[in-house]
Amino acid sequence: MSNIFFQTDSLTLGYGNEIVINKLKLSLDKTKNYEITGKNGAGKTTLLNFISNNFDGNSFNSKYTKEELDILEISHTPTLLPNLTLSENAIYFTSSKNIDAEIIESAIEKYDLGSYKTDELKNFSSGMIKRAELAIAEMKEPHILCIDEPLNYLDKQGINHLKTLINERAQNSKSNILSSQETSGLLKNKETINLDEI
Amino acid sequence: MKFNKSLIKKETISEYRNNSSLFLITPTMCVLIIVFPILAENRFAIDEDLFIIIQILFLILFSTLFSIRNPINQKSLTKELNFAYIKKSEYFISKITSEFLIYFPQILLFSILFSVFTNSSVKTNIFTFILTLIFFSINTVMVNIIFQMFTSFNNRFVQFILIVPIYMALSFFIAPIWLGINLHLTNIYLLMYLGITIVIYSYTSFYLERGKL
Repeated sequence: MSNIFFQTDSLTLGYGNEIVINKLKLSLDKTKNYEITGKNGAGKTTLLNFISNNFDGNSFNSKYTKEELDILEISHTPTLLPNLTLSENAIYFTSSKNIDAEIIESAIEKYDLGSYKTDELKNFSSGMIKRAELAIAEMKEPHILCIDEPLNYLDKQGINHLKTLINERAQNSKSNILSSQETSGLLKNKETINLDEI
Repeated sequence: MKFNKSLIKKETISEYRNNSSLFLITPTMCVLIIVFPILAENRFAIDEDLFIIIQILFLILFSTLFSIRNPINQKSLTKELNFAYIKKSEYFISKITSEFLIYFPQILLFSILFSVFTNSSVKTNIFTFILTLIFFSINTVMVNIIFQMFTSFNNRFVQFILIVPIYMALSFFIAPIWLGINLHLTNIYLLMYLGITIVIYSYTSFYLERGKL
């Protein structure tokens, strides 16, 4: 049985009439890790958004096949809601999975955010928000985890949490797709999609 | 039709912490209501029918202010819903519910205050009065969400210009009922209002389900 969840022979993406990615040939396996690299404006975020259903531009009627899977994207800007506390955010964003309150608590503790769980997110630093998003990603266990600029805002401890999460997912044959300007070194067995070379 | 309790809870908590309608719009409108009879006193006489029309105008203004208080950014919304694994169709019904829960008590309070401060009353029974308010609330909330979810009029001014005529149209069903038409006609108006509500909701749900959004 094929593990390919996304396939295209000619993917063109852009915004309005501006083309960002032109005729990209791509095939993604749901058990492999990928790293999207490229210079500024190469279309890394655009491609990642497209894979994770967050793309709001023009796909120029490109033909592609995509399996419906749980895909979670941690983008370079926060997704969590600033008016809610960390616990409220965690409960809301994991509601589709019916996760126990105890598991949510322990995930928050694991990412060293236990003492901030009753604080509103608008008072958090970018690094703390990213950690919270990683904790939610760990709880939700998506088939595909996409992270845009994975090292941004994270301190050493945060990077260690990220490494652990990615390694655990890789051991469970779950795909991680990272996007950064240069290879981040977070993925051991990976395929690189270099957008500068297309 | 699936209600998402956590989404409704999230919306009401956000509203409470936003302080954008409960703590800003309502007092502003209440002040206007208090000032209005004082201004009106300088005139020779105010017909009670005029008060009812003014009440409907206040209703439209209040609904418009409520609608444009917190515009939905489509990009952020898509990102949020994808992160929470919530479908847009699920979001639509839950958002209508939460907005109704926030909006209806305010509009009810506002209408009662209007009657108190202007010493006027609508010429219909309490049951019909509440029913008209419920229909008006559901429809204005739905129109607002449709506007924000499916159009790119995310500018508050443009929203204001486009949304007011729709709210005026919705209030045209209320005006005759409040002005005291007979019971049979009232029932016809209410049925028409129910029909409009069902059509708006069904069409939007069909659109969302068809696109598997």
